[in-house]
Amino acid sequence: MLTLTSPVDTPWHHLPAGAKLAALAGFTLVLFALKSPWALGAALGLVLALHLPGGRRFGLHALKMLRPLWFFVVVVSAWHLWTGEPRTGAVIVLRMIAAVAAANLVTMTTRLSDMLSVIERLMRPLAPLIPPRRLALAFALVIRFIPALGESLARIRDAWAARSPRRAGWRVLVPGVLAALDDADRAAEALRARGGTDGEPPRG
Amino acid sequence: MPPGPSPAPPAIRIDCGPVVLGGREVLAPLRLDLAERRIGIVGRNGSGKTTFLRLLAGLIAPRSGGVSIGGQDPFRDRRAALAQIGILFQNPDHQILFPTVAEELAFGLAQQGLRQKDAMARARATLAAEGRAHWAEAPVSTLSGGQKQYLCLLSLLLMAPSTLLLDEPFSGLDLPTTHRLRRRLAALDQRLILIGHDPPGLEQTDRVIWLEEGRIAADGPPEVVLPEFTREMGRIGEADADTDLAG
Repeated sequence: MLTLTSPVDTPWHHLPAGAKLAALAGFTLVLFALKSPWALGAALGLVLALHLPGGRRFGLHALKMLRPLWFFVVVVSAWHLWTGEPRTGAVIVLRMIAAVAAANLVTMTTRLSDMLSVIERLMRPLAPLIPPRRLALAFALVIRFIPALGESLARIRDAWAARSPRRAGWRVLVPGVLAALDDADRAAEALRARGGTDGEPPRG
Repeated sequence: MPPGPSPAPPAIRIDCGPVVLGGREVLAPLRLDLAERRIGIVGRNGSGKTTFLRLLAGLIAPRSGGVSIGGQDPFRDRRAALAQIGILFQNPDHQILFPTVAEELAFGLAQQGLRQKDAMARARATLAAEGRAHWAEAPVSTLSGGQKQYLCLLSLLLMAPSTLLLDEPFSGLDLPTTHRLRRRLAALDQRLILIGHDPPGLEQTDRVIWLEEGRIAADGPPEVVLPEFTREMGRIGEADADTDLAG
């Protein structure tokens, strides 16, 4: 299961989601206004300091969530070293890491349902086009089922490995897709059993 | 829960044509009134038990006619159905839609018109009353099979439908968990309609319906239907397993 929200309780968990998202938006805007690597370094330092109340486990998890960035960091750094503009390179890399780390921090300290209520509120002007509840529900389902898909692929791989000396490789794809379609049918039924995509409008 | 005996849940009336899924007739036309508080469904694999529950829950529609609970068709009127009927799927993984326990519990309440904030508060209060306050933020994936089953049942109970449909609620549970769940279900005021594999588990019901190839093979009190069912299943098993040569 992809646990986006960290189970480690930090003070940030108790702040309203809307405030955190607004602060994140503000912080990211400032990052783009800053042009000096020193200022950006300080901004990154601030983000790191905000991780401290979470302790060691929280920090390690946050580092792990930054892993997808390494490729961009390497490419951007190499390019700017090559063109002789290390300062520009440092600005881009620091800005990228600080922005992603700050966004991750908000994600890790905000419950999905709180995030969804904010989205629902913000999308209200678009209600005639996209019913906000459906949109929020779609987000929740994606987050619930991405790891479920991973698990079902792992199960198919196990079933393969239990009866074959060779690695399954790409062969799990077709049964994986079929399993995903099955999962989708079942989720649709579970949703219907509890009132469908819209349910009743909130009272009071 | 209000003290004293509560009024009987509204009866379920089924008067419908066949149920056809993927071009195959899974259930034959049915005429049936379900008014008892405890009803068991038995039958072999593929006899249409699960389809029968899904029909009652309003998840599928028959070719013609339909199901009526308190005058409402659960297939057409999903909102009314939420107050009348809740279904526990056989596999809790097929039921859980949300990443954490509290969110899963709150969803049904929000669907019934409670505000998200109030729904979350109710979910937490319920967990606390169950001595499981620490479950609230737990990712559903960290729960064991029995715990997931329990979560699904709890989220059904929170929605307080007058009839609960349970598809083999004890399959895959260990014995202590089974006992706990049985006690819990026995104490409920609502109507329970449950599919069971083992006849002893259904002895306490008021009525047992035996399905065979999508038709009702027998329908009556458990002391009549269950022994007959057990005998017939034994006979079929013997016939299959009989490899002795006459001589």
